[in-house]
Amino acid sequence: MRLIGAKVPRVEDRRILTGRGRYVDDVRLPHMLHATFLRSPLAHARITSIDASAARSAPGVVGVYTGEDIKGMSAVITVPMAAGCKVGEFYALATDKVRFVGDPVAIVVAETRHQAEDAAELIDVEYDALPAVATYEAALDSASPRLFDDLEDNVIYRSENSIGDVDAAFARADRVVTTTLRQHRVANVPMEGRGAVADFDPSSGELTYYAATQSPQGLRMALARTLELPIERLRVLAGDVGGGFGLKGNIGREDFCLAAVSRKLGQPVKWTEDRNEHLLAAGHAREETIDIEVAVTNDGKLLGMRAHMLMDHGAYPGVPFAAAMFTGLVQMLLPGPYTFEAYAFDVTAVNTNKCVYVAYRGPWEMETWVRERVIDDVAREIGMDPAELRRRNLMAGAPEDRLITGLGVAGISTRESLDRALALIGYDDFRRQQESARAEGRCLGIGFASFIEAAPGPPEMRMGGGMFGGERAKVKLESDGHLLVITAQAPHGQSHETTLAQVAAEEMGVPFEHVKVVHGDTRVTPFSLIGTGGSRAATWASGAVLVSTRKVKEKVLSIAAEMLEISPDDLEINDGIVSAKGTPTKSLPLAQIAMQATLAPNSLPAGTDPLLEANEAFKGEGITGSGWSGGTHACTVEVDLETGRVRILRYVVVEDCGRVINPAIVEGQVRGGVAQGIGEVLYEHAAYDEDGNFLAGTFMDYLLPTATEIPRIEIEHIESDPDGELGFRGVGEGGAVVAPATLTNAVADALAPFGARVQDQYLPPSKVLELAGVVAG
Amino acid sequence: MKPPPFEYHAVASVEEAVALLAEHGEDAKVLAGGQSLVPLLALRLARPAHLVDINTVSDLASLSNGDGLTVGSLVRQRVAERSQAVRSANPLVAQAIALIGHTAIRNRGTIGGSIAHADPAAELPAVLLALDGEVVARSARGERTVPAADFFRGFLTTALTPDELVTGVRFPAWGPGTGWSFQEFSRRSGDFAIAGAAAALRLDRNGVVADARIALSGMGATPVRATKAEAALAGQQPSEEVWAAASQDAVAGLDPPSDVHGTAAYRRHLAAALTRRALREAHARSEVRS
Amino acid sequence: MTRRPLQLTVNGRPQEVFVEPRRTLADVLREDLELTGTHVGCEHGVCGACTVLVDGLAVRSCLMLAVQAQGSSVMTIEGLERDGEMHPLQEAFRDSHSFQCGFCTPGFVMTALAMLEEGQALSEDEWREELSGNICRCTGYQSIVEGVQLAAERMGVGQ
Repeated sequence: MRLIGAKVPRVEDRRILTGRGRYVDDVRLPHMLHATFLRSPLAHARITSIDASAARSAPGVVGVYTGEDIKGMSAVITVPMAAGCKVGEFYALATDKVRFVGDPVAIVVAETRHQAEDAAELIDVEYDALPAVATYEAALDSASPRLFDDLEDNVIYRSENSIGDVDAAFARADRVVTTTLRQHRVANVPMEGRGAVADFDPSSGELTYYAATQSPQGLRMALARTLELPIERLRVLAGDVGGGFGLKGNIGREDFCLAAVSRKLGQPVKWTEDRNEHLLAAGHAREETIDIEVAVTNDGKLLGMRAHMLMDHGAYPGVPFAAAMFTGLVQMLLPGPYTFEAYAFDVTAVNTNKCVYVAYRGPWEMETWVRERVIDDVAREIGMDPAELRRRNLMAGAPEDRLITGLGVAGISTRESLDRALALIGYDDFRRQQESARAEGRCLGIGFASFIEAAPGPPEMRMGGGMFGGERAKVKLESDGHLLVITAQAPHGQSHETTLAQVAAEEMGVPFEHVKVVHGDTRVTPFSLIGTGGSRAATWASGAVLVSTRKVKEKVLSIAAEMLEISPDDLEINDGIVSAKGTPTKSLPLAQIAMQATLAPNSLPAGTDPLLEANEAFKGEGITGSGWSGGTHACTVEVDLETGRVRILRYVVVEDCGRVINPAIVEGQVRGGVAQGIGEVLYEHAAYDEDGNFLAGTFMDYLLPTATEIPRIEIEHIESDPDGELGFRGVGEGGAVVAPATLTNAVADALAPFGARVQDQYLPPSKVLELAGVVAG
Repeated sequence: MKPPPFEYHAVASVEEAVALLAEHGEDAKVLAGGQSLVPLLALRLARPAHLVDINTVSDLASLSNGDGLTVGSLVRQRVAERSQAVRSANPLVAQAIALIGHTAIRNRGTIGGSIAHADPAAELPAVLLALDGEVVARSARGERTVPAADFFRGFLTTALTPDELVTGVRFPAWGPGTGWSFQEFSRRSGDFAIAGAAAALRLDRNGVVADARIALSGMGATPVRATKAEAALAGQQPSEEVWAAASQDAVAGLDPPSDVHGTAAYRRHLAAALTRRALREAHARSEVRS
Repeated sequence: MTRRPLQLTVNGRPQEVFVEPRRTLADVLREDLELTGTHVGCEHGVCGACTVLVDGLAVRSCLMLAVQAQGSSVMTIEGLERDGEMHPLQEAFRDSHSFQCGFCTPGFVMTALAMLEEGQALSEDEWREELSGNICRCTGYQSIVEGVQLAAERMGVGQ
């Protein structure tokens, strides 16, 4: 293996490092106009009147459109993956009501962004304020105003299920540990906000939509549907995208507005959101609460779990995925790879006057946080070491091992990762250090947490290609013997131009530099609803590239076999040359075969296929290994009881994502995910007050961690099944899924001597001191 | 987030600047480093009809160390931070400046701008107050000197009239052997501090506190001088108990804000801790002079 | 608003543009001079993505009105390459796999360049402090710090 497993330098870096990236705000078209949105300052209100006349006649303004206009320019918005969630009627702009601070009320199009913003201030909107529904209590109270008049109330989703005899399990328990665990609202906050250029050409009826998207095909479908535009006349182009973390898979109402106004005006219109509207209106995530009870015996046998989950769904559902569907993943994974006999779970999702809840890097993360936090509480309750409690209940990954929710976990390496992480962090030694530090008045703590992630999941989950039927990739041998790879992926930092080229070059036997990976153009890319997300690329996209490249290689070898009069099984390709194994002098350059196939296909040997391309679907055949990524993270912290600062001393990752394509890229994904988890616990809160006013509209209040807040993160790989050809597993989300649990467990451990019960994931300095009893709460 | 329209004036002299301020008064704002004002313009929270850009005024960037440290208002924070003259004339000022934001901010931000903007969480207003510094202000009507104690009036509000321009800031002469410290706490490196404490201590020949100065940032609408704590420290033999008592005196009766970064109770606790640390460090740095 | 003429040198080339005074240096570089390498991440001076060098000093170009750069010499990320060859700092970042989505990258490159050109040897903690004015959401910073340290070593900074 010369490329798989190597830290090959990135193809993307030349342009990224020299300022030649092409992000959507870099797109400039002739006659391009600029849009801005007027947004609601109120959380909940009826719109009684809108007077845009002054705005329409402001300098440079070309058009101003309100909800009433948009109703005539686009269809009601549908949510294809609502998964049983109730959806009220809404359009791309607020029509009769506004439902959160930031709800778009009008779109102003002008020659410059400055002029558009000047004009937006001249729009006169009269509101009739309504009480805001900004808490779970308010949302569940049937006396509260409904956000949507066409829905019965603000409860939009309910589900419950039960496995095994839960009552019996609890009756047998020596202890029942009960707690309420509250996860707060955060925002994805990629460094590039949302944005697009909609370019409708009235002469052809075609819309070209340049977007910062991670789901170009999904975006194309949604635009076609909502604008009632024939989809073959719609082309989405994603160039370089400055991060997404799930946000840019959500299609915003602004996208529909932009496309509609470009069509109306017959001119390109650009919208780049600014950071204030991004924090306010792009998308939030994670706001959930779980009341949980765990039944356990005195000697640490976990018996049963009961969980009641509440999800704050925001005012509008995401498109195409309503966030309620993520609760199904929480239900499935909450008990984790621990042996339980019985498990009951129910969930309620509610509408609130807040921003839309979108997918954020491991949108099921709540299951790991709650489970790993409560297991530590259980350990404390029964007086057992939390590592020992885990060891007593963790599945080994034997062939017959299954989660209580049914999925097989044969081959998982969770136990090894736990042992290894604790060894690396020096667990036993640390307990001694902690003791002597306590004697000196210093407050140290250690925390760890384990997780598993279905990337791609066990055989029963990935059969037939899983939920989306696998993935395709087009691979073509160009006339010069180089490879063109067209992927359905839409990278925004994942380095697919590099990793997929590594896979293709390795398989074909050509130099890495002879492979070009193309993405982001819906005119040529294979269909994928998600695009890039769900940690799917390593398996599905790599697998698709592998099988398509293999197909092309077979075709080439069958041609070469005829020409060289050698069996194809005795041929190999190295460095772009087809040659006989062991007799390198009997050879043919790929370039020669390719050129001949291009210019003179009839001259190729009879019975061979001159079309040296493939567009194979990879449905998971040949995948080896458990199908689960996962591992254990451990960290040590020091809590300053004067300031409440939590300083991370060491952070250790032991992770298993199967076969690694490019270690530098894998480690970058892990560290980035961990950094977001640290940010989530210590710095980030997309906070609302009880009246639905948003409190974190700038980077002065929504705090992202910097290089001084994120420590060195030590990573060790367990490369289980390193030889399996299709043993690549996804790693994009794992760090973010398990880091919050790891860190909150460490803080809880540090504050244990104060009798602190850590029930909130958000632990800013003031909260830390309240938990320590140093400051009144 | 694009700024609203304004009339822009790049002036070449103080006279030109104050003439414009006299003409436009409340409708004008002075642009110096821009690190505080430009974000406000971008967010459309500030909407001056006239912007008077003083960056092109040549005689506002001098530094002199005669009887005390005099800093022209246009001296860049980064220049002051690295200036040997500033460090030797007043190490507390130099340390406080180094804590402002990040290098790129200090490359443009000015000493005068920080004082005139008067953010209660900022470092320089607290230091100016602790040391009984002065602000020199010019208008078309003439020049006046405002003592720090009179200068900071309310949240982002100073004693400046709309037609006045800060031309310089003066810090009194630094007594030899004075110990000093600036302690602040922010959630991330370079953020506005949640609270801060500036302290200066002079000991007499017996090592007893002869003069103590303490000012707190982030604990009210303006920086706060801890006069009660200072009075209680005079004549005391330094010890941990003395610092602890002084820190309680410093925060007693203060009404700090509660916001997304911390409750009032947290801020009081924090400010007391920072005051202790500042006094401890100031003491460690002070020299007993015979 | 009336536009006024602005003369400045950008990446060694004299430029003249006509701009409204309320436009920032970031906007003018990107739109009027078509140098889109400088990125706008927040427009309120916190994220650092817009960092450029003005007369050799690192500056947040979203906090400077373009007209304030009159007569100045500005360097953007596009100015580091020489004859199609990357600057040692860019090469060090590439060799360290420092970046992912690339949006924060120009700001980090210019901030690091300014510090490297000051010539001081910095410890890792000091580097992290210097870089704390630039926000990255993808990497967790370790790869960026390693890239800068590699650049310092290769450029002989602080030796």
